[in-house]
Amino acid sequence: MISFELNGKAVEVDVSLDTPLLWVMRDHLKLKGTKFGCGMGLCGACSMLIDGVSTRTCILPIAAVANRQVTTIEGLGNPQMLSTLQQAWVENSVPQCGYCQSGQLVSASALLNSNPNPTDAEIDDAMSGNICRCGTYPNIKKAIKAAAGQQLGVQTFDPKATKGVEV
Amino acid sequence: MSMNNSNASRRGFLKSSLFAAGGLVVGVPLSACATASNTKSEGKNFVPDAFIQITPDNAVHFYMPRSEMGQGTYTGLTTIIAEELDVDPATIQVHHVGAGDEFANPEAGIQITGGSNSIRVHFDPLRQAAANARAGILNAAAQQMALDVSVLTTNNAQVIAKGQAFNYSEFVTLAAKQDLPTQAKLKLPKDYKYMGKDRPRLDGVSKSTGTAQFGLDVDFPGLQRAVLVRCPVAGGSVAAVNDSQALKMPGVKKIVTIYNGVAVVAESYWQAKQAAATLDVTWNKPEKLASFSSDTGKKWFEDALKGEDLEDAHEEGEGEDGLATAHKVVSAQYWAPYLAHSTMEPLNCTVRIENGKCDVWVGCQSPGVAQGLAARITGLSKDDVTVHSTFLGGGFGRRVYSDYVAEATAIARESGLAVQLIWSREDDTKHDYYRPASLADFKVGLDKDGSIESWNVKRAGPNTMPYFLDQLVDGKAPGFMPTGLVDWLSKRGYGLFDGLSVDESSVEGLFEDYDAQHKHVQHVTVDPGLPVGFWRSVGHSFSGYFKESMMDEVAHAVQQDPMAYRLAHTKNNPNLNGALKLVAQKSNWGKNLPNNHFHGVAAHNSFMSSVAQVAQVSVENNQIKIHKITCVVDCGLVVNPDIVKAQMKSGIIFALTAALYGEITLKDGAVQQSNFHDYAIMRMNETPEIDVHIVQSDAAPTGVGEPGVPPVAAAVANAVFAATGKRLRSLPLKLS
Repeated sequence: MISFELNGKAVEVDVSLDTPLLWVMRDHLKLKGTKFGCGMGLCGACSMLIDGVSTRTCILPIAAVANRQVTTIEGLGNPQMLSTLQQAWVENSVPQCGYCQSGQLVSASALLNSNPNPTDAEIDDAMSGNICRCGTYPNIKKAIKAAAGQQLGVQTFDPKATKGVEV
Repeated sequence: MSMNNSNASRRGFLKSSLFAAGGLVVGVPLSACATASNTKSEGKNFVPDAFIQITPDNAVHFYMPRSEMGQGTYTGLTTIIAEELDVDPATIQVHHVGAGDEFANPEAGIQITGGSNSIRVHFDPLRQAAANARAGILNAAAQQMALDVSVLTTNNAQVIAKGQAFNYSEFVTLAAKQDLPTQAKLKLPKDYKYMGKDRPRLDGVSKSTGTAQFGLDVDFPGLQRAVLVRCPVAGGSVAAVNDSQALKMPGVKKIVTIYNGVAVVAESYWQAKQAAATLDVTWNKPEKLASFSSDTGKKWFEDALKGEDLEDAHEEGEGEDGLATAHKVVSAQYWAPYLAHSTMEPLNCTVRIENGKCDVWVGCQSPGVAQGLAARITGLSKDDVTVHSTFLGGGFGRRVYSDYVAEATAIARESGLAVQLIWSREDDTKHDYYRPASLADFKVGLDKDGSIESWNVKRAGPNTMPYFLDQLVDGKAPGFMPTGLVDWLSKRGYGLFDGLSVDESSVEGLFEDYDAQHKHVQHVTVDPGLPVGFWRSVGHSFSGYFKESMMDEVAHAVQQDPMAYRLAHTKNNPNLNGALKLVAQKSNWGKNLPNNHFHGVAAHNSFMSSVAQVAQVSVENNQIKIHKITCVVDCGLVVNPDIVKAQMKSGIIFALTAALYGEITLKDGAVQQSNFHDYAIMRMNETPEIDVHIVQSDAAPTGVGEPGVPPVAAAVANAVFAATGKRLRSLPLKLS
């Protein structure tokens, strides 16, 4: 039995300890927002925040997150309460097929949390682990810059301090 | 997300839900001379293939017959309807439809999303249908309020009468009982509220919150996960399997052998994957493909070009004889390798066979083919197979094919369980329908002034059509047709139909764009047997590189500026000529470049659009660095400029991956690449600045999803030549 904090709530799962966090999330906890892309930690589609750090979860055994804080795309905001970053994503029409965008948002969120006004090079550096086959990179960059100037909304889920943008 | 709130549906469900909800339902026949019709006037032979519905709660629904895979058709088609219906596009509820003959793509005759044609072929029928619906509502409103229709106007789903606003829904019951106008007046472009404007994508919120449903997200109680182990050489089958260890692994429910491999069905994906790794399978490998390796295989293509089997594909003027009068002949040979699609969402399909019915959940580009294949494999009639469509996590042509649907259906049938088949990235890289490898040989004859007199090209490589026909015939053939006949028909490929002696996609783009008195195109099929298919821009994906590199060589051979030379040879091609002029201006062609930066130009027509691009490149220590791509597109009237620009950037980045990294190689018939470490995809830090300009036009809209791809590799290669004097005649581009 592994216990950890998922989007602000304590959860316990009883699975084989080598099961990657991604598959625990999708197959056991039925949270489908985080995606499977490569299974080797190469594309970033499976990114989640582990204690605030954007982490590839397709190769992260569930045992590694015992007693840690995990935030998924579902913890960043939702259609009724978008985070500032998600709002920027929508306004800049970032997604195309949309499949990689949960991972992109998680990495962008981690970046802005640690560096509220990143340079182009810092954005490139922080986002280079997330592949987008549709080539949405120019719009991702635009959206990160748009969000960077603003006070951030929901970035890591904290039920006591949730604020966001109504849509 | 459970299956019950999936918004996918097939026709039976779709129709019953439409009628249950009531209100005004408008069918849209998607032919060029289309007229809209409400359901009252729907005769027996009238089969609409898209639906607009306004329900009594004033909700507007659009049942969308095409697939959304990133290209933006969800937003584009909805905006077209919104404009003429006079409803804010953001308030329209869009539903993916499932499979049904009435959803056929009017140009393809089958239900397919591809060929960059969604906006082009639906533009007129959809806006006419929406305009007719609005006119019908106005007529009903005039009657109900005893006013002359001329005093009524509309605004955002409301009829405005004497300064008062009434919801459309107040009039739809009456409107639905009457014949709708068939040729209601359409808006002029100057009056557009929504079209031609940069507006946010309508799928942006769901795709920015992880709530958009992709095929992989389908789930319901009792659903098992399946992993399939396939023969490393495509087309192989299982000779023997030892599954004793796998059967003991946790969570494993069943292990079944199907036509192309061994599947492990387990409670979770991780369990299935772990167990599949312990299977010991021996294979029957197809001999021809198993004898092909890339290091020696290119000779197959070279020998074929020298051989006797070339077929004529196109001839103009005196054809090859035109070379006899040439003052000078420039020759070159170019190579492009096999390429994988690498959609971000690995292929997957969910199938449940229960009580004589089969349900298929899949995001794909051809739901009708999926339905046909599932019917064939289950032995059920097509009417008993329901396809539930989802968003696609990338298509690029890969999801035109339904091989994963056939596999999932076979596994569900053999195991007796509801299964979700999930491909790994390795499966995806090794078992694609690849962009065909191609070798092309050009001979361009010039007159004494250095102008092109004759354009001759020969192409060797596989054809995509047999591999598509294989699925199509299998999926759509009448149930009584024996499998052997289906196989024979499909593998014949070309020569099947009168006049189709050469697969058009094998030679498209090699010869059309530039003025020349004589043209001759020949083709020879070389097919080792690796499955090939449509890959974003299809034949243009290699022909754009070949033709535009050749054009550059010819310009340099006569010491002319490559831009000016292209302009001089596009007198019969005004849109391409216009795109070139604009890209020269926007890129500041050849002027004020930073030290050691060089320009290369390329231009190409595809999918009825014209695209011209200038690449700005530097080379240091044999490393190619791309600083900027300037792109001009002429795609007629634009529904959403922001999406057109995004599609150009998307196509350019997709093509840069192919230009710089993309190469699938084989060893004894097996694909050697497996994942993103050895099949690299361009990342943000490698992406150049991209500047897109759209030619202003009121002409009918044309394609945007694919036309950004073809010129890119040549624009870069031509810039590399300008920088180094080295002509790169093979992809991916490498200096050494």
